[in-house]
Amino acid sequence: MLGQYLPIVFLIVLAFLFAALSFFASRLLAPRSPNDKKEAPYECGIIPGREAPERFPVRFFLVAMIFIVFDIEIIFFYPWAIAHGEMGLFGLIAVLVFSLAVFESFVYLIGNGALEWGPIRREAQTGDVVSATRTTSTTVSRAGIRQVGLEGRTGGDS
Amino acid sequence: MEVAVFIVSAVVVLSGALGVLLARNPVHAALFLVQTLFGVAVLFVLLDATFLAAVQVMVYAGAIVILFLFVIMLLGVDRADDLGIEPIAGQRPLAAVVGMSLAGLLATVLLVAVDGLTGAPAGTPIGDAGDNTRRLGEALFTDMVFAVELTAILLTVAVVGAVALARRLSGPMQPLPVVAIAEVDDDPDEATGDDS
Amino acid sequence: MIAALTTPYVAWWALVPLITFAVAGFLLLTVASLVRRLPAVLAPAWTAVAGLGVLLYLVPMWSRVGRDGADSFLAGTVGVDRSSIFVTGILAVAVIAAALISRDYLPREDLPGVELYVLLLMSAAGGVVMASANDLIVLFLGLEILSIAVYVLAALHLRRIESQEAALKYFLLGAFSSAFLLYGIALVYGATGSTNMVRISAFLAQNVLVDDAMLLAGLGLLLVGLGFKVAVVPFHAWTPDVYQGAPTPVVAWMAAGVKAAGFAALMRVFVLTLGTYVSDWRPAFQVIAAATVLAGAVVAVVQTDVKRMLAYSSIVHAGFILVGLQAATDRGNSSVLAYLAVYAFLTVGSFAVVTVVSGTGDASHGLDAYRGMGRRHPALAGVFTVLLLGQAGIPFTGGFVVKLGVLAAAVDGGAYWLAGVAMLAAAVAAFVYLRLLVAMYLEEVPSGTETSGAVPLGALVVAVASAVIVLVVGLVPGPLLDLARDAVPVLVAG
Repeated sequence: MLGQYLPIVFLIVLAFLFAALSFFASRLLAPRSPNDKKEAPYECGIIPGREAPERFPVRFFLVAMIFIVFDIEIIFFYPWAIAHGEMGLFGLIAVLVFSLAVFESFVYLIGNGALEWGPIRREAQTGDVVSATRTTSTTVSRAGIRQVGLEGRTGGDS
Repeated sequence: MEVAVFIVSAVVVLSGALGVLLARNPVHAALFLVQTLFGVAVLFVLLDATFLAAVQVMVYAGAIVILFLFVIMLLGVDRADDLGIEPIAGQRPLAAVVGMSLAGLLATVLLVAVDGLTGAPAGTPIGDAGDNTRRLGEALFTDMVFAVELTAILLTVAVVGAVALARRLSGPMQPLPVVAIAEVDDDPDEATGDDS
Repeated sequence: MIAALTTPYVAWWALVPLITFAVAGFLLLTVASLVRRLPAVLAPAWTAVAGLGVLLYLVPMWSRVGRDGADSFLAGTVGVDRSSIFVTGILAVAVIAAALISRDYLPREDLPGVELYVLLLMSAAGGVVMASANDLIVLFLGLEILSIAVYVLAALHLRRIESQEAALKYFLLGAFSSAFLLYGIALVYGATGSTNMVRISAFLAQNVLVDDAMLLAGLGLLLVGLGFKVAVVPFHAWTPDVYQGAPTPVVAWMAAGVKAAGFAALMRVFVLTLGTYVSDWRPAFQVIAAATVLAGAVVAVVQTDVKRMLAYSSIVHAGFILVGLQAATDRGNSSVLAYLAVYAFLTVGSFAVVTVVSGTGDASHGLDAYRGMGRRHPALAGVFTVLLLGQAGIPFTGGFVVKLGVLAAAVDGGAYWLAGVAMLAAAVAAFVYLRLLVAMYLEEVPSGTETSGAVPLGALVVAVASAVIVLVVGLVPGPLLDLARDAVPVLVAG
């Protein structure tokens, strides 16, 4: 009875073998002549004491959330798929309502650009970025503090 | 055959659990967790609980550990915490006591249980391995169909909430509470954009 | 050959309120995702129309249940009786009010608009589920839909750090209390062998448990879990912070809608399902009710922030409702429902006024903002006066009528001491409202406070309508009390 899971075991063994072979092959084939300079993270400047804190785009959080939600949806599909024959139309409608509701959240995500990974779209800017009436002196007087050299930069004065 | 599978998967589960505790690198700890959860899935298969095994692999080993990894990456993999500092005084001895009592409790339950360990199934099985997922599906989509549909609403609320809270607003934020009264609505540049 | 299963019977007519709220939320979400720029008035109007539609639909539903009796369907997981219709009505009113208040609030605060209404509709759907659940699992799911939506709603003022703080506190404590509730459900299931409320009550009526420790533990955990949601002492600690930080229209919904759904759930679980154990849970309810009214009233007196003041006063109200609930009689139940209805109007009206007074930034909630309001905004101050007197329970307001109802139910059940404590607390709490009234009428406008502009229409409509209804109920209490008397909660098997 457990024999039906043999292919899975076989796959796992295969995966392990592949990983082990890759490591072995890279050690065998790659030329390796390390020295202190090469091991250092940078070849000039001060050796960093610790990793700099990284800023993480909040989109990763969204992707993780979406992943969890659709993962849970899949879990509901599995027992339905096994039993759909007995339940007939009722089960089909039930699962359709369910998936429609979850698919709805997908539409919302797309509509809100939660899955857009291109360059960040700026809000439409009113007027020219570089206006003819703006000079260094007007910029300084407008902001009230010394703030020069902003001409030509996009989004610097929002 | 079953005994052999049980022993192998028990070794996998326990070594994974030990690995989670002993691994210095948090990423390695998370990967050991995958190993443990996968071993538990094999144990579920051994118990004919195929649906639980699938859930174990898909949700726990798949999604939950991915979330763990995500948080680890977010906080920085290489950041070493000084383990010498106790955030809560006396938590280690307390944890030891609690762990010991839990182990003692489990051992007591095993010893006091009516017939001890017999290896016999606890109840009469309602079907074979292929059958129980089908029965579960039937129960879910007939008796509990209302709860299933409610789950869909719940998931949608979660997605809407996640997106709504992760959104970046244009325009000024409010100052921190201390100065909240002094300068409210002082900014002439404030955008009046409605929705983005 | 595949044998067809018997599929459960669905009484679609009884599901219409739930479906209306949920589908309205989904449709709004879809339209907002597909159309870039919606007219700002669409979402609040849509939400209010959905609430109004539900409210109108409840009329034929009410008479149908009166004619045919209560019903249970979807394999006995959902039931419809007049009490669930009554609570659905309260929820619909709260949704309409919150939508109207938000209409002017969101543009004023420069916040993006659609999610608030979507989450409002979804959490209303969750509340409807709670009010008509016949199964503990379904009850839990309804509670989670309601709560998770409200956690997000509390954080929706993305420009205020206090809003996020409030949401975080609410989320952590709420998740904790949900765990208590779930564990309680598990223990009750272990003790009785079912999560279906009808089957649990039948089991407890026909069997005497030799060892009921597990059931009692489960009962206690259920009380903790639901007590958190309705904010009774000692599970009230989140209330003032969350009310203070959350966007004010959301607070109106939290105070009116969430509380109504929470008490409906308490009624279904304790009075109906665990009614045979009334002698076990009644003492706990009485102690909690007494502690809630006293602690809420005393702490409310020393507050200087009006939103915190109203938060503690909502705790006092929760205690009063519990005073009626612990009687576990038909009279007690109807007094609870009547109280919830009047309290919903009192609270949405009050928070509508608070929204207007708080000004841009939703920040000025101190007593200072209210000083001299009688001269600056005579109409608004007058409306607020009626609402505050109603909250205090002054005769000729709806607040008096319903307070009398719960006290009478308690005296009926022989809980004289509890009624005495509640009256004492009402006297203390009256001081809170008096203090606000004194600030509005007798104190001078502090220099530097300019008169704020015109009162936005949505909030004004809500405040005036609530004040009128509170007055009408106070003068002619008959219709509401008759409705509440007819709204008997019952459990029927599917």
